[in-house]
Amino acid sequence: MKGLLIASESAEVLFHWTDPEFQQNIQDKYGAAQEEGQGPPAFEDSISTLFAPIIISCSTMIDRMGESYTCFTTENNHIYVLHQFDECLYIAVNGDGEEGEDDLKRKIYVMKKIIEVMFGMVTLSGNLLRKELRPQDTEHRARLWKHLQSLLETYSHLRESDQSFLVEAVERLIHPTLCEQCIEFLERRLVQQLNSSVERAGEEVLHAFILVHTKLLAFYSSRNASSLATSDLLTLIIMAQNMYPSNIDVDDPGPEDVESTSGSGPESFYTPEPSPTDRDSSSSEKPVRGSTPVFEFVDPDIQMAEDSLQTLEVPPPDPSTPRRVFLEVSQKEGLYPMMPHSMYCLPLWPGITLVLLTKIPTSAVAISVYTYLEAFAKLEKRLSEGQEGSSATRGQPTIHEIRSKLDKFIKALGPSEIQSAQLQNVWTEFKNRAFARGGPGFNKDLIPWCKNMKSQLCGVYRQCFFIDSGSADIPRRLSPSLQERAQSMVQEKLMDWKDFLLVKSKRNITMVGSKKYSAYVGKILQNIAHFYPPCIGLDPVILTYLEEFPGLIHFICVDRSTGQMIAPSLNITERTTSELGKGPVAQFIKSKVWSLVGTTRRYLQKGYSTVTLRDGDFYFCYFLWFENETGFKLEAGEMPILPDDSAPIGMLAWDYYRKLLRYYSKNHQGEVVKCYELLTVHLGVIPTEIILQHCRQLASKLWEPSRNPLL
Amino acid sequence: MAEIMPPESARCTFFFLYDGSKVKGEGDPTREGICYFYPEETPIDLQELLCGQLAGVGRCVSELSSSPVRILRMRRSKYAIRMKDDFFWALGCSEEVPTVSVCELLDQLINLFCFYNGPIRQSYQLNSQVVLAARWALYLSHLLAGTSELHHIFSCLRTIDSTNVDPLLLLKAALILQACQRCPLVLAGCILFRGRVVSTQMTPDLTMKVMVHESETHHKALKPNGPSTSSSFGGAVSSTTVFLTMSELQYLQSAPVDRELKFYSTPNKDALPKKTRLSRTLSDTPSSESEPSDPSASQSPLKVSSFSPRLSSSDNSDSVFSPAPSQSTANPLHPASPSLEPPLSNGKKTSHEAEEALDESYYHSFHSNGDGGSRIHDEGDVSALEENSSHLNGADGDAACGTVFDLRGTECGNEESYGDKASRRGNGSAEGYQAETGDLPPLSGVSDNADEAPLVPMTLYLHRVKGLVLALLVEPLFLSDTASMEEVYHSCLASLNGLEAHLRTISPGAPAAPGLSIFAHFDCIQSTLTSNLSGRPGGAPEHPFVRAISLLHSHFCNTETLQEAIIRSAGVAIYGTRSVAQETYFLQHGGSLRNSGIPNHQDSAFSLPRKARDKLLKHGVNLR
Repeated sequence: MKGLLIASESAEVLFHWTDPEFQQNIQDKYGAAQEEGQGPPAFEDSISTLFAPIIISCSTMIDRMGESYTCFTTENNHIYVLHQFDECLYIAVNGDGEEGEDDLKRKIYVMKKIIEVMFGMVTLSGNLLRKELRPQDTEHRARLWKHLQSLLETYSHLRESDQSFLVEAVERLIHPTLCEQCIEFLERRLVQQLNSSVERAGEEVLHAFILVHTKLLAFYSSRNASSLATSDLLTLIIMAQNMYPSNIDVDDPGPEDVESTSGSGPESFYTPEPSPTDRDSSSSEKPVRGSTPVFEFVDPDIQMAEDSLQTLEVPPPDPSTPRRVFLEVSQKEGLYPMMPHSMYCLPLWPGITLVLLTKIPTSAVAISVYTYLEAFAKLEKRLSEGQEGSSATRGQPTIHEIRSKLDKFIKALGPSEIQSAQLQNVWTEFKNRAFARGGPGFNKDLIPWCKNMKSQLCGVYRQCFFIDSGSADIPRRLSPSLQERAQSMVQEKLMDWKDFLLVKSKRNITMVGSKKYSAYVGKILQNIAHFYPPCIGLDPVILTYLEEFPGLIHFICVDRSTGQMIAPSLNITERTTSELGKGPVAQFIKSKVWSLVGTTRRYLQKGYSTVTLRDGDFYFCYFLWFENETGFKLEAGEMPILPDDSAPIGMLAWDYYRKLLRYYSKNHQGEVVKCYELLTVHLGVIPTEIILQHCRQLASKLWEPSRNPLL
Repeated sequence: MAEIMPPESARCTFFFLYDGSKVKGEGDPTREGICYFYPEETPIDLQELLCGQLAGVGRCVSELSSSPVRILRMRRSKYAIRMKDDFFWALGCSEEVPTVSVCELLDQLINLFCFYNGPIRQSYQLNSQVVLAARWALYLSHLLAGTSELHHIFSCLRTIDSTNVDPLLLLKAALILQACQRCPLVLAGCILFRGRVVSTQMTPDLTMKVMVHESETHHKALKPNGPSTSSSFGGAVSSTTVFLTMSELQYLQSAPVDRELKFYSTPNKDALPKKTRLSRTLSDTPSSESEPSDPSASQSPLKVSSFSPRLSSSDNSDSVFSPAPSQSTANPLHPASPSLEPPLSNGKKTSHEAEEALDESYYHSFHSNGDGGSRIHDEGDVSALEENSSHLNGADGDAACGTVFDLRGTECGNEESYGDKASRRGNGSAEGYQAETGDLPPLSGVSDNADEAPLVPMTLYLHRVKGLVLALLVEPLFLSDTASMEEVYHSCLASLNGLEAHLRTISPGAPAAPGLSIFAHFDCIQSTLTSNLSGRPGGAPEHPFVRAISLLHSHFCNTETLQEAIIRSAGVAIYGTRSVAQETYFLQHGGSLRNSGIPNHQDSAFSLPRKARDKLLKHGVNLR
């Protein structure tokens, strides 16, 4: 029984996802509360009615106590996790024991991340986001929610089955020569050719990568591109997986499987659409320029000049239409979150996908909008803290710089097709209040105007980046033929490798010699036979390591500075019928590994960077440490101790490790600091000294290609 | 915007009981439903806000999940919740307190209330809210009273520091309790010294409850209202009605030899306890009728096999105090317990036999309750017993030595009728209980509510000698049974005096300087804590230790298979290990903790298990 709900402060449902069980539960409960003789109510109404008291109580607590609920647990172990992001309340529910509180919190944060990647800075305006998430048009709403639901399901599936989504780091396919060749191919052939084509319509390919299932075969970034954050890359992998589900559960697909998976084609396309005007009155409310500001207390979004957008047609779902994604860009001047990109996801074969990320011609606007948004947000913050006059306006850039830049910015928008009249009006009014001699100046009364400015800027941003492909006269995207060419170029390049890659992605680090392997596993089974009957299979162990690491069952090693991980594959599907049969033991070990990751995160959150556990017949180790670029081990620093309600530790939704590295680097100025993690699972009978020796060897070997036996 | 001002203790920022049945209508003000709110000085609008919102949201969630809410967490605090019928309890604390510990604290609090006041709904019908509010406050302050943070984490009993006490004194205390149990009306007892447990025969839960009454404040608070009593023993003796759950009662009524739950039982070398009867002087008759203790034993959830009877034959050093067990039955002419003081006067021999008979029939009839077949046996027993007990009374009459019990006013009407019903038939509680269910006197404690576990009224008898208190759980009949009461009183008076004198002279003992290592050893079964922590709150070197323990304890509680753990931050490494019977935590200061955090088998953190084993052996804790 699982569910996730996003609600506005007024208890309006902005999004919901439920599994069938939870849906049934809601319907039963609601049906019981309803009177006889009425037809079954719309599901959305039921869920909204049942959750309304919780949502309202939440906002009451925030208003009156400055506190908010984070979690409820019932005696039958149903868990409700709540989190408020600005004006949206997220509630995640689990009633089947498959997810813990941390998992639910993570799910909420991931959902928020997905929404940010899809809607960019519009998420910064509660009103606009509410409209985006809950379009008036029910058909449009159903399509959007279906899309979000399927992204959420894809994520949940990956988190439960894929180690790279468990630890939230990208897994590379380990085949150095092929990887190198592919990177070279992407650089010299593909990207160069695309970026020099006239058919690219002003777009520029910044990043290109090839995914085999969820694993990265090759990744190339053009020279003038900023690096792609791990958080964004993981989200893009979720999106790609959602578009072309790789059906990883089906092992070694036979010909019939290939057919069926290829049939799963691109999912129904979703592109954000303009929210239709809900109030015809908005035009009449449009203030006449220069009139006294009568709209001071009017909801700012009413004044959005969006009615004019109504004329734009919803783009037809065309497979060659790119996704608009909003990703972080780091430039010399700083970090710009949620900058618009186009994402082209080109299926090569089932399970193998080429992804292109392009910069769109108007992306400079986004940087400006973000700069202004940030300036107004800072100003608002200072004003609400009670600062006034010059103390409120200090900071970089100064308000006067902002003023002249914004004047120019609005002027530049003027002739374009972007509706900026409203922005112009609000800005004029803002200036009158803030800068006019004898005017009110910078004080608390300016706060609503800061908010209004932010809304207007978000509105402009929304116009710029949500609907561009709609202006059908000049399609702003790589032309379909160019896309096709890219696709076939890479297909041609990888034709001979494709089957190998598909297998390799499932056995990235694999056993060598299965006889030796089965003998080894037999020994393991003898040791843990009282857990499970014998004659069951265990797939995860790397044979290469057998002689060197007797007793080692599994490990995961993560380089947190690059966001990459290495681990033996854990194949536990029904069809993995190796010489050992199917694998409840592997399933058992898998569940242990999954819970171990959760456990170590809890300790890490409280400042413990080394954890060893003797649990049942297993011995688990976890280590986190820092090195400098040359591999010199740096002294363990004091780790930050985070409160219980802090964001989940990981790299997907919120990059804990980036913050950790920044925190740690304070004492290591001028040095490149790298952060590593190692998790191991050993048999409990192995002496601790030997286990620790193994850990040390693994830690020092895995990331050094010259000594890594895997490479 | 109201700010939350966390009152003194982070362990309990808020506690309230809210009665939803009083706020049903639209117009009913929330305050009507607030039965008790801690801290009492909280502004009423904040009280209303918390009660109204938490109870409301709790009900909504429990309806969605068809199950009551247990834990409610906020950003900066967490609440243990109990929902029963229309009652809603919430106990809030800061987020550092382990969730298991808050839930335990709330349960303890509610159980404590029910122990002294009976079922919740009923006590609110019988008593004014003000009176009961004072009791909640009392129980809460008792539970929060100044012990260390570690005590709070484990919710353990406060015990005397056994390292400074001569083990013989502990044995003596145990023997006093055993001596009291010769009176069949006495179920079990414990001896407390200055608010700390010296010896107990009861489960930790029950001991904890009994300890509240011992505190002087409670004594005063209850006097005007509670059915407490004092006799002419110069105010040294008092009693009050208490309510036991069925499982507690069953445990107490199971064979005494199986529940010999001694506080400082030295760990026995042979782990499997023999079912020895040596510790019990009086019930050693090898008769088939003593067997019914077995089925009862299986009913008792608290019977744990690792309870080794203290007085097993291997403890030969104790022979001075130990009543020679087999003698009493083998040769009734040579009464046992030579060293027990004061020696009973002339009635001794016969009373022995009488009690024996009482014992047996008592258990038998309880466990064959409702079983027609064994009825005949019962009759026979009872008749024999009546004969004997009259004999006993006669004997005791002689032994009274002029002490006059002033029993007038000691029996409230309820107990009278209860006594009448059960008359002088020795098989008290089972029969008495049946009688009660029959005609439901208002205080019977047999719940009128179907899903509320029935509570059985019993009496808590307290005998105080300065700082020392003997607390006995007795059948309500006991108070009206002058002879038994007198006998119990006199049989232990001298011993108690002696024990008190000894305990008083023991200096608290300068807490040994913690040195380089700190440990905490929690005995899950006896719910006791041994530690070399100084106990000062907020000690600098201890804080990381306590913080780690609270994390590890939660982890141990949530993961059954977890046996040991080492966790390390940059500054400290802590080792924790547990078995079904204990949890032990160990921290070593000094040494070269400066390291890179990379796996290293020479790392001092990984030698902690070995060091812990060595160090703790010196403190009598064997981790092997």
